[in-house]
Amino acid sequence: MTRRWGRALLPLILLAAASCVTPGGEPGALTDIAPGERPTLESDEAGLWMEVDRIENNLKTSGHIVRDPELNAYVRDIVCRLTTDYCEDLRIYIVQVPHFNAAMYPSGMMQVWTGLLLRAENEAQLAYVLGHEIGHYLRRHSIQQWRGVRGIADALVFVQIVAAAAGQGYLGYVAQLAALGSIFAFSREQEREADQIGFELMARAGYDAGEAGRIWEALIEEREAADDPERFIFFSTHPSSEERMETLDRLAGEYSGQAGLTKTNQDAFIDATRAFRTAWLRDEVRKRDHGGFQVVLDNLIEAGEGVGALHFFQGEMHRLRGDDGDESEAVAAYRRALEAGGAPAETHRSLGLLMWKAGELGEAGRAFEDYLAAAPEAEDRAMIDSYLRQIEGDQR
Amino acid sequence: MAPRTMNRDKIRFRASKLSARRRGLIIAVVGLALLATGCTQTESFHSAGDLARPVGMTHVLLMPPDISLAEVTAAGLLEPNAEWTEMARPHILNALREMLGERNAELVTYQEAPPDSEAFHAATQLVKLHNAVGQSIIIHKYAGGNALPTKEDKFDWSLGSRAARLRDDYGADYALFVYLRDSYASAGRVALVVIGALLGGYVPGGLQFGFASLVDLHTGDVVWFNLLVSETGDLRDAESAREACERLLDEFPL
Repeated sequence: MTRRWGRALLPLILLAAASCVTPGGEPGALTDIAPGERPTLESDEAGLWMEVDRIENNLKTSGHIVRDPELNAYVRDIVCRLTTDYCEDLRIYIVQVPHFNAAMYPSGMMQVWTGLLLRAENEAQLAYVLGHEIGHYLRRHSIQQWRGVRGIADALVFVQIVAAAAGQGYLGYVAQLAALGSIFAFSREQEREADQIGFELMARAGYDAGEAGRIWEALIEEREAADDPERFIFFSTHPSSEERMETLDRLAGEYSGQAGLTKTNQDAFIDATRAFRTAWLRDEVRKRDHGGFQVVLDNLIEAGEGVGALHFFQGEMHRLRGDDGDESEAVAAYRRALEAGGAPAETHRSLGLLMWKAGELGEAGRAFEDYLAAAPEAEDRAMIDSYLRQIEGDQR
Repeated sequence: MAPRTMNRDKIRFRASKLSARRRGLIIAVVGLALLATGCTQTESFHSAGDLARPVGMTHVLLMPPDISLAEVTAAGLLEPNAEWTEMARPHILNALREMLGERNAELVTYQEAPPDSEAFHAATQLVKLHNAVGQSIIIHKYAGGNALPTKEDKFDWSLGSRAARLRDDYGADYALFVYLRDSYASAGRVALVVIGALLGGYVPGGLQFGFASLVDLHTGDVVWFNLLVSETGDLRDAESAREACERLLDEFPL
């Protein structure tokens, strides 16, 4: 989860280099940032904030920002309940990106991706992820990471020169590999720390602590089904999802004795996100990670909210994949969608296209007519009319 | 419309073999290629003919200059420095104002609109667009191997008609966009530069890199563009900043 955008640093890096030295400072070695605190102008932290402010300025006018005031107020309200003291310091941007992620920048700019809002099952799960991001901010993880990388890279470059001067150039590469490993290990350590903070914040706000581990279960399942699974853990900046799930479940066990930690606010969460789900699902299906999408769909169908639309997207997944048997699966899914109700008008159009392809001209024509009846203002009306004329001609 | 021709210096660069996707990398390479021909280099392009000058004072709107100063760590990473950037900013603004004044042009200062306003949105989109267009000019005009067949012997880049919005809002005839990056070697980097030289190699220290363009707010066309790359200079110093701005406005048409 939550690839943190200390990565904003990466474009600044001219030479990717690093060493076998232990990273400078353990996570938490710095004092936590205070509410309302801004770094002093001469500090390296201020330089980092300056670059991040530039990114934020560009983001503000991005076409990918979800500007709906109610959804923004809903997410902001959760953040402020998790951390009253820092509420004013955090600026939240909901970004329309179909991947499970949220990101915290050192200056208090937080991104919440719509892929996360689609996958979270309830407010408690979202609150845990938001709490994790707040943890990165509180602990100043970005500047810690930058200082670590800077120190390691500086040491490495001298190691490499000495190795090269001694005619043992390969030692330089060994050092570089060790350095990369240590940078990633450092990053994983920070993620663990943020997990812990996220967990504590959600529990303190009264959320059901068991939900923190549950969001990983779904993610592990999705990754295993994905067409392009994650890479080797050694170079991963995050602890494995399995490890995190276990840690969080253990923490949840410790909290389970406490009364009152039962809040999931599932209804409020579904009310807040319902109007956007069709748009977000459309983004997901376009990724064409059919295996991963299937897991997302299965989980949503199981939750039982808005199943008509979900069956439509199930059909779209089959239609786009186009393997053996997919077309009949798609037709069946479109029919389920229409039966359940609440499916988008395009369900008729997709059904019409497949029927036409299968030579079922009568059914195809009816489906296209249903589409135009359901969406009289459709942008592709002229095209559908031309299909209907062709079908009519073929039927004669 | 009159055909546009390009006023081009005789400097030629080796073809870059880098993928067009790696824009940042290409721009860095272009910078180094320019440098290979000397310590400080500028090369400008402009559209043909004299620029239209209104009777009396020409008003030039200075868009928020995109400035960032950084320290080069021993390993060659750039650590952005807010204090240095804030030192450089007034030097650059003053120098540009003086220089335009000497050319009978008045610098109109950009007023930052409230972040949620439509004016902020419109202006920020233009700044973003200019960044993209400026980088495209560098990639396709300066790096020899990436020349666009349709633009080979002309200079016709534009921000489009929406730039007129700035003319209406500010009563300006032209907009000047400035992008400046400057970096200075840390003690560790200086040591490495020396070691490199002793071993017979070359390790770059700090680098000044920038580009500026003048946009006609009646048409949105980029009427002049200049790229600056220099291994010397210090934007934190008023006099040196003025010299950098003079190089940046090399062959400035007003």
